[in-house]
Amino acid sequence: MSAQSSGPWDPGLQVERTTLAWVRTAMSFIAGSLVLLRLIAHHSAVAGVVCAVLLLPLSAVLAFLAWRRHVRAERCLRAERPLPDGVQHAALAGLSVLVGAAAVVYVLVS
Amino acid sequence: MAVEHQETAGQRRWPQRLYRVGSEPDPRFTLANERTFLAWIRTALALMAAGVGVEALNAAAPTHHPLRTVLALLLLIAGVVCSVAAFGRWMRMERALRTGSPLPAPALAPVLGFGLGAVGIAAFVLLMLTGF
Repeated sequence: MSAQSSGPWDPGLQVERTTLAWVRTAMSFIAGSLVLLRLIAHHSAVAGVVCAVLLLPLSAVLAFLAWRRHVRAERCLRAERPLPDGVQHAALAGLSVLVGAAAVVYVLVS
Repeated sequence: MAVEHQETAGQRRWPQRLYRVGSEPDPRFTLANERTFLAWIRTALALMAAGVGVEALNAAAPTHHPLRTVLALLLLIAGVVCSVAAFGRWMRMERALRTGSPLPAPALAPVLGFGLGAVGIAAFVLLMLTGF
């Protein structure tokens, strides 16, 4: 750790970079889900709709949570409180497993 | 610069078994760990996209070859394993940061590297065997 006081003002823009990483990830999930849905819907419209209802809102919520987390983290830094916890991490890993399951279904039916 | 851990009422942090140990690390380290987790998740998504891509091309090919489906499934399973491992690794890493112990080695990285190399060779051989 450097001797000069960096303070809560975060000259490394760590919070911003982390938020962008979350947004990038959420966007990849939205794009990936859309492609997967298109492929699944080609085989079964019902399965496509089911997957769409499951995956797309979750990915969109993730993008929204990214910005909320940004505000919270910024506030925590300024108040010198601990940063937000790992619930969002677990949710994202869960969504990723869900996308994987949908993809396995696609591969098996195609 | 460790921030004092303040457990205010009604502000529980999950997973509790992680936040019970050690003290709050430098926020920069926590954020860097978070970005690394996200990079692993994107890697998992890329693996799954590759799997879906292989199968989509298989479906579009004149002959549907089961070996290509096996390759697609392998990539998808790797993606799912990678997603779960990403969270486990984030937690182990955060625990190490909190307790000030050495960071755990990336156990999955060499497997992924060598595994993808093998998948590349397999895909090449498959291409030669089954035609374009």
